[in-house]
Amino acid sequence: MKKTLLALSAMAALCAAGGAIAQTSGNMTDQEQLLVSQIQTDKRAVVLKAMNLTDQEVAVFTPIYDEYQAAMKQHYSRGSELLNKYASNYDSMTDAAAKDLLKEVFEQREERTDTLKKYAKKMSGKLPATKVLRFVQIENKLNTLLDWQAAQVIPLVR
Amino acid sequence: MKLVTLALAFVVTAFPLASVAQDTSGTAADEQVLLKQIQTNKRGVFADNLKLTEAESKAFWPVYDQYEADLKKLNDRFLQLINDYAAKYDTLTDEQAAAMLKERLGIDRKRTDLRVKYCERIGKVLPGRKALRFAQLESRIDNLAMRNLYTVIPLAR
Repeated sequence: MKKTLLALSAMAALCAAGGAIAQTSGNMTDQEQLLVSQIQTDKRAVVLKAMNLTDQEVAVFTPIYDEYQAAMKQHYSRGSELLNKYASNYDSMTDAAAKDLLKEVFEQREERTDTLKKYAKKMSGKLPATKVLRFVQIENKLNTLLDWQAAQVIPLVR
Repeated sequence: MKLVTLALAFVVTAFPLASVAQDTSGTAADEQVLLKQIQTNKRGVFADNLKLTEAESKAFWPVYDQYEADLKKLNDRFLQLINDYAAKYDTLTDEQAAAMLKERLGIDRKRTDLRVKYCERIGKVLPGRKALRFAQLESRIDNLAMRNLYTVIPLAR
């Protein structure tokens, strides 16, 4: 799980690292650091706890959530490949390579947004809408934190 | 749920030029400095970090300004959504939640589309590496704003 989440973060960080802005690195609050650590250990448990579901809702939610995570894993893998490409090209990055990378990063982001939307729709009708909204809020919050954490270690393109 | 608190929190994070009181207790100290810089002059943050030549500046800034104008329309929709959420938070029905979810996911997709569109346009007027650098900076700024926002918006019940 930790490897997968780092891959996701790394992908997002390709477009999240900044030069002067990166000087704010390493400044998550203690609470955020703790949450990131918990996500890396067991994101499923963090999400389930935060969802605050009844037993009946858990039975409906978990199979869809597991399917969602499996789908997201493919995006994470692609993100990992993109990061490797960025790292290996970093010192000699050409404008053409940067453009290609940018295009791929955005494609990957669109896929990630669409996957969340697809599974939110899948949950709709099976769970109360307030719970589906909560799921999207949780995912967005966790992804934002992971993206930020990953951005700390990836330098801005020169 | 305090409507005004939520609305202000979003205004200061997503609308950088707004000059209002803020609650940034969820972010570290130097991030608050950065937030202030962005709130005061987001354009200046890009100017400092992109290191454009004169010719690049001439081509880039009109595209950037158009991007910010289009982004503001989506941010206005997002602000409306947050205000709506705050106003209904204590009595939120499933029907209202479903409508808000649809709006939120729609805005997210449009934001992504807008970034793709403008990064392509910027890629045509700037060298690829500077276009990528722009995207990295913009994404970082957005991430900071959203993190700040999430510290003050509670999850749906």
